Amino acid sequence: MDLDMVRYLAKLSKLNYSEEELAKVAKDMTSIINIMDTIKDIDIKYDPFADNKNIYLNDLREDISAESFPTEKILANALNSENSFVVPKVVE
Amino acid sequence: MDITALKIRDARKMLDGREISAPELAKAYLDRIAETDGKIKSYITVTADSAMKMAEKAQKKIDSGEAGPLCGIPLAIKDNICTDGVKTTCASKMLENFVPPYNATVMEKLEKEDIVMLGKASMDEFAMGGSTQTSAFAKTVNPYDTGCVPGGSSGGSAAAVSASLCTAALGSDTGGSIRQPASFCGVTGLKPTYSRVSRYGLVAFASSLDQIGPIANCAYDCGLILNTIAGYDPHDGTVSKNPVEDYTAKIGQSVKGMKIALPREFYAEGIDDSVRKAVLAAADVYKSMGAELIDCSMPSLKYAVAAYYLISSAEASSNLSRYDGIKYGHRSKIGENFNELIANSRSEGFGEEVKRRILLGNYALSSGYYDAYYGKAMALKQKISAEYADIFEKCDVILTPTAPTVAYGVNENISDPAKMYQADICTVTVNIASLPAVSTTCGYDEKGMPIGMSVIGRKFAEADILRVADAFEQQFERRLPKIN
Repeated sequence: MDLDMVRYLAKLSKLNYSEEELAKVAKDMTSIINIMDTIKDIDIKYDPFADNKNIYLNDLREDISAESFPTEKILANALNSENSFVVPKVVE
Repeated sequence: MDITALKIRDARKMLDGREISAPELAKAYLDRIAETDGKIKSYITVTADSAMKMAEKAQKKIDSGEAGPLCGIPLAIKDNICTDGVKTTCASKMLENFVPPYNATVMEKLEKEDIVMLGKASMDEFAMGGSTQTSAFAKTVNPYDTGCVPGGSSGGSAAAVSASLCTAALGSDTGGSIRQPASFCGVTGLKPTYSRVSRYGLVAFASSLDQIGPIANCAYDCGLILNTIAGYDPHDGTVSKNPVEDYTAKIGQSVKGMKIALPREFYAEGIDDSVRKAVLAAADVYKSMGAELIDCSMPSLKYAVAAYYLISSAEASSNLSRYDGIKYGHRSKIGENFNELIANSRSEGFGEEVKRRILLGNYALSSGYYDAYYGKAMALKQKISAEYADIFEKCDVILTPTAPTVAYGVNENISDPAKMYQADICTVTVNIASLPAVSTTCGYDEKGMPIGMSVIGRKFAEADILRVADAFEQQFERRLPKIN
C-alpha cells in the first residue's frame, strides 16, 4: 500500500499521522492487505437474497414511548454547558 | 476458606449450607485480588465497595430462601460491557473516563439474580486483539507463566478465572475472544450462537459477529450463566425469540453414539504438534466413550482469516466513527474547528491496532475496492456457513483446536499484526457462521502451558456442546496454575 493510499484512508478515517508514522503504517497495511488478497483466488459472488430470509420485518416491537435517560446523566460524559453538548464553532 | 478454582455449583452449596456468607465469599476474592492481581493485572477497575453491598443484598435473598443458582456468586465483567455508574473503558484511552448511564442487558439480568460484581476485567483495546497487550491500562499476563500472554481479547476475564480472582466471568467473542483466552489460561469459555444473548450495552466492535458469553472453571458453570444471560430483549432487534432452555440439562448424559467430526484442515500445517496431538488424543477419549469420529473437510478455511478481518474491520470502522470527542469519550484540547477536533480526539484516543482496523475497514468499504474485498468476504461468509451445514449433515458436533499454539511470550508477535491475524484461524469461522462453540482444556505442553480444544455445535445447540465438553472434563485431570 503506497503512502498516498494511507493518507487517503487516514483522511476518510479522521485520523492524523506524522510522515514518519505514515511510513510504518504503510508497511503494516501492506502485509495485512497481502493476507486479505488471498480471497482474490476464489471466484464466488455474494447472494444478498440468501441472507435476508431470517429477518422478521413484521416482528418489530410496539412503538410505545418509554422513559428517557436523565439529561444530567447523559451530559456527565461530555464537555457541557447550559444543558447541551459543547461543539466548536461550525458556521464561520 | 479455599476459593481456588471454586466452581459455581460448589460455591452455591457452601452459600446455601451456611458454610460461608456471601459477604465472606466476596471478601475472600477481594483479598486475593489485592494480594495477587498486581502480578496478573486482570482487572482494570475493582469495585470493592459495591461488591460488598451486592453481597449483603445477596445474603438477604439467601436468608429468605429465594436464592437462584447465581445469587451471591462473585463475577468479573469484561470492560466493554456497560455497567451503570461504573467506568467502562474498553481498555482504551478513548473511554478512560466513560461512566455508562445504563446497564447492559446482561448486567440487568445478572443483577436481578443478585450476582456480586468484583470489577471490570482487562481486554484488548475495543476487543481488537488476541493477547490483551493492546490494553491501555492493564496488560494482563498468563497465570501459568507470567512471561506469557493470557490470550485475548477477553484476557482479563480468562486470567481472573484461571487465577481464582473470581468464580466466573463474562467475556465477549467476535472472532475467538472468549475461546482463545480460555484456552491459553486453562479454563472453559463459551461463545453462544449469534443472537442468543442480547448485545445491548456491549460496546460495539463488529455487530454481525459480536456475542457475549461466559468464561468459567467448567462447562457446567458456563451453562448456568448462559441460562441467566440468554433470551429476548426489546433493546436488541437481532436477539432470537427462541425459548431459553436449561443449558445444563444434558450435562451428564453419555456421549455414546454421538458423531464427532474432525475437519482435517484444522489439524494441518500451521498447527503446533503439541496442540494437534493433544486434541487428537481428546478425540480418542471420546471414541473410548463410545462416540464415533468422522473425517471431514472445510475447503474454505484458508480464506477464513481474510474474510473475518474484512467483515469485522468494515463494521468496526463504521461503529467506531461514533467516537468524535463530543458526546462522550476522549476530547482533544486542540481543535479550532469541528473536523480538527474530531481528528485530534480520535488520534489521541485510539491505540495503534484500533487505528489499523479502522484503516483496513475503510479500505475494504471504499469505492473501487468494495466488491473485491467486502463483497467477496460476505460471499465467503455464505460459503463457510454452507460448508458447516454440510458437515453437520453427517455429525452432531465438530472438534477442533482452539488456537494453533499455546500462550506465547508477551513480547512475541505483538509487533507483527499480520502474524497476529493468522493466529485466529481456528476460531473465526464459528463467528462467521453464527455458531456456538465451547473451548475447554484438553492437555498441557511440555512446559505445562494449557492446550484448548473447541466443540462446535449447530445453531442453538449450546446444551449439546456443553454436554460434550463436560464429558471430557469429568475424566480430565486439570492442573491449576502456580502463580509465581
